[in-house]
Amino acid sequence: MIFLLRRLAFYIGAFFLAVTFNFFIPRLMPGDPSARIIASFQGRLNESQVEAIRKSYGFTGSLWEQYVTYVGSIMRLDFGISTVQFPEPTASLLFYAATWTLVLVGLAIFFAFTIGSFMGIHAAWHRGGFFDSFFTPINVMLNAFTPAIVALLLFYAFSLQLQWFPLGRAHSTSIMPSFSFEFIGNVLYHATLPVLSIFLVSFGGWHLGMRNVMINLLNEDFVILAKAKGLSDRRVRYRYVARNAILPQITALALSIGFLLGGALVTEQVFNYPGLGKFTFTAIGSRDYSFIQGQLLLLTASVLVANLLSDIANVILDPRLRT
Amino acid sequence: MSSDRALLEVRNLTVDYVGDNSIARAVNGIDFDIREGEAFGLAGESGCGKSTVAFALARLTRLPGLVSGGSVRFGGEEVLQFEKARLKAYRWREVSFVFQSAMNALNPVIPVSEQIMDVIETHNPELGEKGARARAVEMFELVGIPPQRLDDFPHQFSGGMRQRICIAIALALNPRLIIMDEPTTALDVVVQRDIIEQIVELKSRLGFSVLFITHDLGLMIEFCDRIGVMYSGELVEVAPASSILTNPQHPYTRALGSSFPPLSGPRQRLEGIAGSPPDLRALPQGCRFSPRCPHAMAVCTQTAPELRFYPEHESEAACHLLN
Amino acid sequence: MSEIVQTPGLSRPLRAENAAEVLRPPSQAELMAELGLKSRPGWTSRLPPGLAAFVTNGKGMVGVIILLALILTALFAPLLTSYDPNRRAGKPHVQPGYEHVLGTTRMGKDAFTQLVYGGRVSLTVGIGAGLAAAMIGLALGISAGYFGGRTDDIITFFVNVVLVLPGLPLIIVIATMVETAGPPVIGLVLALTGWGWAARTIRTQTLALRAREFVLAAELMGEKKWRIILIEIFPNMLSFVMGGFVLGTIAAILAEAALEFIGLGDPNSVTWGTMLYWAQKNLALQSGAWWEIWPPCIAIMLTGAALVLINFAVDEITNPQLKASRKIGRIKRFLSRRGRSADVF
Repeated sequence: MIFLLRRLAFYIGAFFLAVTFNFFIPRLMPGDPSARIIASFQGRLNESQVEAIRKSYGFTGSLWEQYVTYVGSIMRLDFGISTVQFPEPTASLLFYAATWTLVLVGLAIFFAFTIGSFMGIHAAWHRGGFFDSFFTPINVMLNAFTPAIVALLLFYAFSLQLQWFPLGRAHSTSIMPSFSFEFIGNVLYHATLPVLSIFLVSFGGWHLGMRNVMINLLNEDFVILAKAKGLSDRRVRYRYVARNAILPQITALALSIGFLLGGALVTEQVFNYPGLGKFTFTAIGSRDYSFIQGQLLLLTASVLVANLLSDIANVILDPRLRT
Repeated sequence: MSSDRALLEVRNLTVDYVGDNSIARAVNGIDFDIREGEAFGLAGESGCGKSTVAFALARLTRLPGLVSGGSVRFGGEEVLQFEKARLKAYRWREVSFVFQSAMNALNPVIPVSEQIMDVIETHNPELGEKGARARAVEMFELVGIPPQRLDDFPHQFSGGMRQRICIAIALALNPRLIIMDEPTTALDVVVQRDIIEQIVELKSRLGFSVLFITHDLGLMIEFCDRIGVMYSGELVEVAPASSILTNPQHPYTRALGSSFPPLSGPRQRLEGIAGSPPDLRALPQGCRFSPRCPHAMAVCTQTAPELRFYPEHESEAACHLLN
Repeated sequence: MSEIVQTPGLSRPLRAENAAEVLRPPSQAELMAELGLKSRPGWTSRLPPGLAAFVTNGKGMVGVIILLALILTALFAPLLTSYDPNRRAGKPHVQPGYEHVLGTTRMGKDAFTQLVYGGRVSLTVGIGAGLAAAMIGLALGISAGYFGGRTDDIITFFVNVVLVLPGLPLIIVIATMVETAGPPVIGLVLALTGWGWAARTIRTQTLALRAREFVLAAELMGEKKWRIILIEIFPNMLSFVMGGFVLGTIAAILAEAALEFIGLGDPNSVTWGTMLYWAQKNLALQSGAWWEIWPPCIAIMLTGAALVLINFAVDEITNPQLKASRKIGRIKRFLSRRGRSADVF
C-alpha cells in the first residue's frame, strides 16, 4: 500500500510539472497566442475587446494569479475554446479524438504486447536456434523503421494499389454509430491498417525485451531447480520463467505508452484517421494552442494512469511488493 | 550405513567451458564412485570445479558449460545418454539437488506450497492435488516447519527456514542421491549446525546417499564418509574422512589441511598455499599442482600422475611422490 | 609406475575396462576445432577487452560498416553530386536515369542530391542528440548512483518525470511555440527529453559498482571523489553509455523524421524527414513518383537497422548470457554427434 501511495504521489507531482510546463511555455515565447489573435484583427479592436481576448486566454493579472486560474480550469477539465472549431470547447474535441486514438493504440498495444511477448518467450527458449537468430534481429529492426514509413508503405500497398482497405476515416459515413456488429465491424475494418502499422513498429521491442529478460532468468537457480525437478518444459517455461519475466515487461509497457501515442499521431495523419494525431495536425496548421497544449496534458495524464495501472498490476503479481 | 555397492560411478568426466576464443577445462577426466547410503564430500578451493562436477552429475550443466566426455553411471545406466523421458524420471526421483542459496533457489513470486507440490504431482500424478498436499505437509513436518505456512511466499521465511524448505523439496520423492552444493555456506554458524544435524538425522532415517560440497573442511570431515579433494579440475586424493587430515597423501591435501584450523588441541600457525591455481585455458604440462608444490620433482613437470589406489592408506591419490 | 600393485577387493582399475563405453573427451584443441572456435586474433590483444569484444562481434561490425558508409556519403556529398539540393535541377518528376540518378522531385530538385545532403542534417541531428542524451544520462546517472541520499532522490525524480512524459507530444508543443523548428531546435529538444533510459541504467550500474571492493578500497585510501568517479567508475560505464547513445540516436532519428514528416520542422531545410514531408504533400505515391519517396525511406531504415545491429553487439557485451546463447547450436551438434541427448539450457 505504501508503495502505491508513494507512486501516486509521484504521478500527481509529475502531472503538476507538466501543467506548469504547459503554463510557462507560451508565456516564455515571444508573442503569446492571444497576441497572435489580436494581431490578426489588424488593429480593428478597441481596448476593452483586446482585454476580453487576453482574459479569455488567461493572460491578465499577475503571473501567480494566472497560474492559479490556469490550474483551476485544468482541474475543471476546461481546456479553453478551440480556435479552429470555434466555439467548440477544446475538451470535448479532445475527448472525441482521444476515443479514436484509444481504439487504435489499444488494439495495437494488445496485439503487439501479446504476440511480441510470445515470440520473445519462444526465441529465448530456443535461443541460438533459427527463429531466434533470424527473426529477433528482423523484428527489432522493424522497430527502428519510423512509423511514418511503415504507415506510408501499408497505405500505398493496401489502400491505394490493392484498394483492400479504405482511404481514411474511422467508420463509413453511411453507418450511424451504435453497438451493433455492423458498426463495430466497420470500425475494425477502418482500423486494420493503422493498427497494423503501429503493431509492426512496436512488437519487436516486446520480442527483444521478453527474450533478454527470459535469457537472464534461465540462468537463475530457481529455474535450474525447476528443471532439475523434472517438471515439464511447458511448466518451467511459463510458470517459472515467463511468469517472472512479465513483471519488468509490464513496467516497460506503461512507460512506452507515451512513445506509442506519439507514433499514433503520425499514423493517423497518413491514414486520415480522426484521432488525436489528426486533430493535432490540424491544430498545428492553424496554431490552435489550446488544443495542442490540451493534447499534451491528456496524453501525459493517460501515460501516468497507465503507469499507475502497471504499478497496481505489479503489486498483484509480485508478492514481494505487498508487504 | 554405507555399503560397498556403487550407486554412482563417474569415469573420466570432463567438463569444459566454451569461451569465445578458448576452451577452459574446468573438470579434467575425474573418476570416483558414490556408494549406496554414503556421504561423499568434494573439497577444494573455489574455482576447482567441484560445483561443476555436481551440476554435471545431475545433467544440469549450464551454458556455456559442456560435458565433453566421460561417463556417469547411475545404478549401471549411462546418465549422459538418457533420452528426454528417462532424464525426467532421473531428475528428482533418483537424484535431487540442494543449492547454495535458498533465496535464489525458490521462485520469489510463487507460493512455496506450489513449488513443492508441483514436483510431487509431476512424478506421482496418481496422488492428485490432495495427495500432493498431504505429502508436502508431511515433508514440512519432517524438516520442522509449521505446515500452516505452506502457502507463504519465499521472502516471508528466514534464511535457515528457506534452506529447510529446499531440503523438504529435495526429499519429497525419496531420492537415492541428494547433491548438496554448499548447502549451508550462506547461513550463519548456529543455523548451519542445526541444518547439518538435521541432514545427518534424515540420512540415517531415510538411507539416501549424499554428494556434499563445501569449502568448510571441518564440516565435511564430520559429516562425510569419504572425501575427494579437487585441485584445478582434477581429483588429487580420495580418502576416508577419518584419515584425510591425519594422514594426507597428496601435498595439496596436506597444504589444505594445514591452512585449516584444528577443531581441538593447541593453537597452531596456519599456513597458506603460495601461488594461485593455473589458467584453465592454458594448463601446464605434467601435474597441475607442480608449480605450487614444495616437493616438485623433474617428472612432475613432464607427466601428469594418475589417481591410484594405495591399499596401505585405504586411499587413492595422484602424486609421483608416492611411487 | 608399474610397481604399483593393483589389489583386489575395494580397488578396481579406475579407467573403465570397456573403454568403448567411456566417451573419450576431445582435447581442448580438438574441441575448439570441432566447435569452430578460433583463438583470439593477435591484433585485438592490445585493445581494452570491451572494445576487443565489440570489434570481433559480427553483427556489430556490419552495423558499424553500414553506418560509416552512410556517414561518408553524407560527408562527401559535394563530391558525389554537382547539383544544389535547394535549387531546381531539372523538370519536375523526371524518372531516374543518367542525368538524375534518383530522378527529380515535383519541384524539380535532384532527389539523390537531396538524399546525400539531407543525410548530413539528419545524421548530425540524430547522432548529436543521441550523444548529448547519453552524456546527460551519464552525468546524472553516475551522480545519482555515487552520491546517493538527497542527490539521488532529486535526480531520480527528474529521471522518472522524463521517462513518463510523452516525448513526441511534448516536442510538438515546443515546436509549435518556436515559430520554425529547424533541425538544431529539434535536436536540442530531443537531447533534453531523451536521456531518461541512459540515466536510469547508469544509475543502477553505479549503485552496483559502488559496493564493490575496489571502489571501497579507493575511498578508504582517501582518493578524491571526482578521481574515483573518473578512474574507477567511468571506465566500467562505457558499454552502457554506448548503449544509451545507440538507443538515443535511434529514437532521435525516428522522432526527427516523424516531426518533420507531420510538418513541424522547417520545410525549407533539406533532411530525410522533410523529403518525406514534401513527397507526402505532393502526393508522390498517388502520382507514381516512387523515386521521390523510397530513397529517404530506405536511408532512414538503413540507419535504423545499422543502429539496431550495433545495439545487439552492445547488449551481448553488457550481458554475457546473451552471448553464451549463440554457442548453443554448436554445443547441441557436438552432443548429438555422440549420441547424447541435448538438454542444454
